[in-house]
Amino acid sequence: MRWPSVLWLATVGGRADRTRIALTAVGAAAGVVALLAAATVAATGADDGPYTSQLLNEPGLHIGIVIALVLLCVPVLAFTGQCARIGAPGRDRRLAVFRLAGATPADVARVAATETGVAAALGSVLGLVVYMVGRVLLGAPVAATYTRSTEVAPDVFVVEEVTGRALRLPTDVLPPSWLIAVLVLAVPVAATLFALVALRRVVTTPFGVVRRQQVRPVQVVPAALFAVGTLGMAGFAALVQLTGLETAAEELIAVGFLVLLLCTVVGLVLGTAAISAQVGGFLARRTGRPALLVAGRRLVAAPFAASRSNSALLAVVLLAAAVQGFRSYTLLSQRRSGTEFYARALDAVDLALVVAGAVAAAGLLVGTLEGVLSRRRAAAVLTAAGVPRGVLARALLLEVLLPIVPATLLATVAGVLAARGVFGTTIREGVYAGPELVDVTVIDVPVPWGPLAVIAGGTTLAIAALTLLALPVLRRSADPGELRTA
Amino acid sequence: MTSTPHSAGDDEDLLVAGRALVRSYGNSPALRGISVGCRRGEILAITGPSGSGKSTLLLCLAGILRPDAGEVWFAGRRIDTDSEADRSRLRRTRFGVLFQFGQLVPELTAGENVAMPLLLAGVKRRPALTAAGTWLDRFGVADLAAHRPTEMSGGQAQRVAMARALVTEPEVLFADEPTGALDTLAGEQVLTELVRVARQAGTTVLMVTHDAKVAAYADREIVIRDGMADEGAPTSALRGALGRVAAR
Repeated sequence: MRWPSVLWLATVGGRADRTRIALTAVGAAAGVVALLAAATVAATGADDGPYTSQLLNEPGLHIGIVIALVLLCVPVLAFTGQCARIGAPGRDRRLAVFRLAGATPADVARVAATETGVAAALGSVLGLVVYMVGRVLLGAPVAATYTRSTEVAPDVFVVEEVTGRALRLPTDVLPPSWLIAVLVLAVPVAATLFALVALRRVVTTPFGVVRRQQVRPVQVVPAALFAVGTLGMAGFAALVQLTGLETAAEELIAVGFLVLLLCTVVGLVLGTAAISAQVGGFLARRTGRPALLVAGRRLVAAPFAASRSNSALLAVVLLAAAVQGFRSYTLLSQRRSGTEFYARALDAVDLALVVAGAVAAAGLLVGTLEGVLSRRRAAAVLTAAGVPRGVLARALLLEVLLPIVPATLLATVAGVLAARGVFGTTIREGVYAGPELVDVTVIDVPVPWGPLAVIAGGTTLAIAALTLLALPVLRRSADPGELRTA
Repeated sequence: MTSTPHSAGDDEDLLVAGRALVRSYGNSPALRGISVGCRRGEILAITGPSGSGKSTLLLCLAGILRPDAGEVWFAGRRIDTDSEADRSRLRRTRFGVLFQFGQLVPELTAGENVAMPLLLAGVKRRPALTAAGTWLDRFGVADLAAHRPTEMSGGQAQRVAMARALVTEPEVLFADEPTGALDTLAGEQVLTELVRVARQAGTTVLMVTHDAKVAAYADREIVIRDGMADEGAPTSALRGALGRVAAR
């Protein structure tokens, strides 16, 4: 098949297909903006600025911002992945018709991947435009009070507070052109490769799309990964001391920590599928409530749907809980020298996590809506048979909440345990009589119960609220009038 | 035993009746003032070409769609003015509905699908599943109780759907092309079982079909063309004969 034909077939389609392409483009644009922002911060040196944010004025903190911006791409990617499922049944039927008309399986895969690639390329260009326009719009300096540190001797800094004009963002810095080009190209290339990999499990025949048998969720591996990761992080400081790694290179210790973090997140995400299947099966075998029965059976039938939708959000919850643990430690340990700078820096991290959580939640909403739309005929038939719409709404709510509530709790616990394991549960403070150390007091770092409750409870409530947003769509799609046209 | 535009709703013997029903989809009229009635225990076939309005008529009579004009009566009570919740309750408790395909919840087992209307009525899980098993047995698919719809043939799924439609022992069964997705043999088997069970239970059946052979299972047939009853249209020569055979 010639490329113009592939391009044409990739972009023909109905409203759902156009929505999928548009949202994929938006996701790619957000990813490109985040990556370009990260590249800009990485390119910012000590001579640039000054900036209104203390985080940007301290070159030593730039690496944290870069990591946060790159991590922001995770929920953005998850969101884009969810968007790729919008209108999937209709697209599957269209691809099957292509096969019936003589297209080879490779042609069909090219058509599907091209759709994603074109949408992501459009989004990439849009992201570049947003970045460039944003530099101009936010480029004017504003009046601000900021701190400036000057190195007066090796490792000796003088920090002074200055009032003057400063930039809100590093709009005076432009990353190298080659890096901009690489990032703008990387997103559509990655999206296309991702689509091709995702299509490996899909066989499009002339009679429809066949997905290879879904693997049942295993329970031991995720549980073991989660346990190893969480316990490893909880006892990280002791573990480092025990293994004599405290004298090793910082990079080695950081890699060890990242491996444990990865184990925890992967265990949690895979474990959500196992939790979904277990909780769903347990309830469905026992309940006499129709809504719970339907929700439970759906969780058993598609346990990976829940983990796919929730994975990015759970990663954000885990990080947010870890940050709250770090905040408790930092504010206590720095209380003598003043906590304002740290509090402001951590507020900025909190804001980034809220944005990441919002993007992840948007992905979850898209996944929920896609699930509602793909089951609309079954819903319409049930309504026609007299099943109250309230039962269908409760089934949807339960289907979303049943796996997310225990998984959110686990993510919160894992996050705070990680922070306490790495930074410690106590701080030691010297008591001086003049210059002489007379005693050392040990102070317990408090567990941030309040913020943790806000994270776990807020996430659950936010997801419930998001699911409620999907109910009008459920109501419309369960209209028995749909049956006449089916 | 013919229905006239004037008798529907006036006749006290009629269990279900539609009077002067009008219904449009945008600018496309589907029903243009049609009247139809069905007596208790009767099996009525509604036939006509594609797009004639027969499915719309069935959905209006079942209280699924609300007509733009006209009246729908059930057991001497007008129902088209009822709220959506009241009409849903009526469908849940006194009607059964059967469609061509895609009517089972794919994630539930056959037993749970059939038990669903009973669970909605407040019956406990165990007795609901026991009753579901009995109905699956009547349709010869008791061994599929633990299977999901994706593990069944079209004919087996349609038998499960019939069991679900009848498990509450409804007074009326509304069936829209109940064998439309089945091959000839499976369709005949399903219809034979449907008519046999309906006769035994005294259930009234209103059945939409475009297949003259399917209409032959009915006691009476009305033909619709362009949203109106076609009084002069020929009906199935075998009308009623197959239904009587099936009832034996």
